[in-house]
Amino acid sequence: MIVIRKTVIGLLGSFVLVWAQSALAAEPKSPQDVHMALRILASVYADMQSKLPNQLDRIPHENQEFHEGSAAMRDAMANEPADYKTKVLAALDQAVAASQAVSDTSASHDTVKVMAALEQLAASMHSLNELFPEAIRAEPGSVPAPVHGGPPPSQ
Amino acid sequence: MTRRGVLAGLMMLPAAFVGYRAPGASRPRPEVNLTISTDGDLLAFKPVELTCPTAALVHLTFIHTGKYISQDHDWVLTLPDEANAVDQAALRAGEAAGYVAPRGDKRVLAATRMCGKGEQVRIDFIAPAPGEYPFICTYPGHAAFMHGVLHVTAS
Repeated sequence: MIVIRKTVIGLLGSFVLVWAQSALAAEPKSPQDVHMALRILASVYADMQSKLPNQLDRIPHENQEFHEGSAAMRDAMANEPADYKTKVLAALDQAVAASQAVSDTSASHDTVKVMAALEQLAASMHSLNELFPEAIRAEPGSVPAPVHGGPPPSQ
Repeated sequence: MTRRGVLAGLMMLPAAFVGYRAPGASRPRPEVNLTISTDGDLLAFKPVELTCPTAALVHLTFIHTGKYISQDHDWVLTLPDEANAVDQAALRAGEAAGYVAPRGDKRVLAATRMCGKGEQVRIDFIAPAPGEYPFICTYPGHAAFMHGVLHVTAS
């Protein structure tokens, strides 16, 4: 009897979790635009990552691109319901602030600090991605960062 | 020979020259139109492979389809295995030179100017000997992401 009760509670818990996740990751009205916006941010993140360890002076430039790229997400959210839009834009603002922090930290030329700031940026981008269905996510790291100065991968 | 026979022979004369080429005369140069663009605001070319026959007059149109990020891109065709060296030469040339390899660099077979978002440019060049030729964007750090291959066929 106890086993059955535990199983039922476990199953109910799973359902609640799945429901909560699907409610959190709502389907946007323009999934292609959202996907492209996330890919742009992941691409800039990879470019920023590639500036470690020897090109920290280029990071403010990448930060500017991150700011510009965030406009793609703002456009993609244009026709979304206000509460959903507010939630996404809040997460986006956190990612933009984290990108700014990477840029500010790069002035110190302390690679360890910059790496820590980059991890914070990745975490905030992950939070942003979690607001969307898995099929349209583009997590930081999904665009591989090249080894700077090395030959293009196809050669 | 009758007069009718002579007339018929004269009428057939142009047909005898069809397909005839004087010794040493060259075949008319084939012309090829190629179009390549950036993948929107992503650091990528689209497509990443192009094909043309050797010795063709290539009219290549490069379109920067970016909308959000203010980053410049160019399209530079290099000799095999020289893409990385050309990329480094462009980096050394610096911002004042627009991050393009020095004029007259023998490793560069064809190149567009740097384009900003929304711009497009056309260049003409003669396709080199059959082989695989890499192309890259020489803006600093982009070649690691933005690269592809021009397949030059024998005919």
